[in-house]
Amino acid sequence: MAKLELIQTLKKDNGRVWNVSWHPKGDAFATCGEDRCIRIWAKDLLGKWSNKVVLTDGHKRTIRQISWSPCGNFLASASFDATTCIWDKQSGEFECNATLEGHENEVKSVAWSSSGQYLGTCSRDKSVWVWEVAEENEYECAAVLNAHTQDVKKIVWHPTQELLASASYDNTIKIFKEDNSCDDWVCCATLTGHDSTVWSLSFEGNGSRLASCSDDCTVKIWKEYTPGNPEGISTSDNNSVWKCVCTISGVHTRTVYDINWCPLSGLIATACGDNSIRIFKEDSDSGPNAPTFNLICNVEKAHNEDVNCVAWNPVVKDLLASCSDDGEIKLWNFVDS
Amino acid sequence: MSRFSGVLQLTDLDDFITPSQECVKPVEIKKNTTSGTGSKIKIQEDGSYFQMEQDGSYQKLEKVEITLADCLACSGCITSAESVLVTQQSQDELLRVFDENKRFKFLGQIEDVKFIIVSVSIQPILSLAYKYNLTPNNCAAKLATYFKMLGADMVVDMKIAEDFALIEAEKEFIRRYRATESDGVKNQIPMLASSCPGWVCYAEKTHGSYILPYISSTKSPQQIMGSLIKQSVGRSKSVYHVTVMPCYDKKLEAARQDFFDNETQSRDVDCVITAIELEQMLQIANIPLEGLDNSEFSQPWLQNDTEDVVPNVQAHIGSGSGGYADYIFKSAARELFGEDCDNIEYKTLRNQDFREVILEKEGKILLRFAIANGFRNIQNLVQKLKRGKSQYHYVEVMACPSGCLNGGAQVRPREGISAKEMTQVLEKMYSELPVATPRENDSVMYLYDTWLGGQDSDKSNAVLHTEYHAVEKSFNALNIKW
Repeated sequence: MAKLELIQTLKKDNGRVWNVSWHPKGDAFATCGEDRCIRIWAKDLLGKWSNKVVLTDGHKRTIRQISWSPCGNFLASASFDATTCIWDKQSGEFECNATLEGHENEVKSVAWSSSGQYLGTCSRDKSVWVWEVAEENEYECAAVLNAHTQDVKKIVWHPTQELLASASYDNTIKIFKEDNSCDDWVCCATLTGHDSTVWSLSFEGNGSRLASCSDDCTVKIWKEYTPGNPEGISTSDNNSVWKCVCTISGVHTRTVYDINWCPLSGLIATACGDNSIRIFKEDSDSGPNAPTFNLICNVEKAHNEDVNCVAWNPVVKDLLASCSDDGEIKLWNFVDS
Repeated sequence: MSRFSGVLQLTDLDDFITPSQECVKPVEIKKNTTSGTGSKIKIQEDGSYFQMEQDGSYQKLEKVEITLADCLACSGCITSAESVLVTQQSQDELLRVFDENKRFKFLGQIEDVKFIIVSVSIQPILSLAYKYNLTPNNCAAKLATYFKMLGADMVVDMKIAEDFALIEAEKEFIRRYRATESDGVKNQIPMLASSCPGWVCYAEKTHGSYILPYISSTKSPQQIMGSLIKQSVGRSKSVYHVTVMPCYDKKLEAARQDFFDNETQSRDVDCVITAIELEQMLQIANIPLEGLDNSEFSQPWLQNDTEDVVPNVQAHIGSGSGGYADYIFKSAARELFGEDCDNIEYKTLRNQDFREVILEKEGKILLRFAIANGFRNIQNLVQKLKRGKSQYHYVEVMACPSGCLNGGAQVRPREGISAKEMTQVLEKMYSELPVATPRENDSVMYLYDTWLGGQDSDKSNAVLHTEYHAVEKSFNALNIKW
């Protein structure tokens, strides 16, 4: 029987915690939330996770998400104060050395591309922005994408390509890439199927599939069919199509707020408004065009309130972090016995 | 679907600002002076609301109406503005005015008859010439016929206002440059172009006092045309003035309070109609533009205003958005540094919509100009300015990628052609037109003397320049969402 063993509970008693983000080396993570602080956590001498750094003074309102750059030297934070801050340790201490302005209101999500060359942000103003990392703390706006008709909740980059996926209150997922023929970024795919807000997204480790979770209490798996695919799925304009190949329904009893596909184990973790954390595993007997994902672990009351975020450690297999409206951050070890 | 272009709202272009908030205009509550508590409201079967007075009588409550002016004065969305525009400045409204005017004429109600003048700008002429396979001059001549068929009294070329705008912008730049260099006056340089209403509206709503001092006070050609028509012709007649433009945002500009004449209770531009709306009007009426006769353009601002001319549309060197950067660069190089630069070369920076040109002498950069089109480049420019990192002396800013030839209300491309390719066709057509030289335009010089009391006179400053107003952000608890 597979289970999640609680390793440690962390609490700073300052309101809901929105997001937890692992450092690419896996030996530290950052959290953020309602208290407008960013906290960086690492293990102390006794091997216990403890709060090493608190970053304040960056934002005037709730910090919704933080994201480490692939090199691990920069931390980006997205806030309801309409700005995105970039923090780094050039001076020895973490400092905010760039503030990206431009969104009209709440920034909901921020993420670095795998190359570290681009940064994506999205907002309640319905837009998705791509920023190009220029020289010396300069970030140039490379694109403002207004494909969504409502609040954009989350953006994630493809693990190897400069491909950006976004999830919105308009129930759709959109995928963007740079189109050299028009010298701008364009929306190259719209994924429809969810019946309500899409809250979060996560690419599979190799980028060929995308998992999404929604207010409609389902999880969907989308598979990329490239032009000329052997299955004969038609594509147009030399763009891939993304088709929903699996819908997990009847499992989550409330909104699914976050989803994370582990690149190391292939396991999918979900964070749910019913306070549970669930782990799904792909059935190895199922075919590539109709995969089956089985619920192998369901931690009821993983938190006392909505679970906002789940994040697999990128280096240490089966180590999962979660955070919640209850103000707690929890570390879990997945055991499949 | 919304039709605002540029930074306000685009339909087919991925480069714009969306309406950000729901309408935040507070509902006006007229205080009842006698009643200490709230009053009873009764809803009738037809959905109208009645308020019960203390004496038991009922009074009908007014519906809250949102005017375009409300929208422009608000920091929130502009979607409501659009529905207002539909009633104030649509093709239906234009046709209604034409028909009503015909009826007044027929009934002999001379005092109600308006003198209708249509001013045509170059970008929609090229767009429609492309659509109907006409030469630009033929297209202009046939458009003149079409408007006269509808009931226009005169159709005029807007080039005269474009010439005025370039001359005034050039003089303003030199004034600002000298004030900065010799007197150390702040917030003068870079001067930012003011002819794009999408950009101006965005700057007013979002960046207020940071950016507005840099925006050129020179009116856009549309509004200079408005003043010229209403003041030169409107003196003796009641004029209804229509402009033909490449984008919807021009409707917002025409509706600005700054361009409303309290004395005559009319706007300098009464109705803005765009290329794509004209295409629809022609289609609905089943009129093949190419099959119409040619008519002439009028010049009512001249002494002998009966002298009509065959359309001779011209371009201004440089961008298809009016050639501001080009004209001001060359004039400033000559005026400030005694340098003649006939051919200037633009260097493409981050993308094709951000280009710069430099005047360099003995290793020193004397002038640095740029053309920044589209919202992403506006963003980068604005952020640089805010951080004090802009090195530019002048930036021609337009909200639409590729500028006004690709205005949001130009005719859509033919089947199988991308917007980019169509813009390239229009750019080529534009570059092949004969070139206008504003300072050699006798009519402009004549008007400076006879209408404006000379160049740089108080009147010419008052008539050819305008002001911008920062919009205060309004915060309303109802707008806060998670």
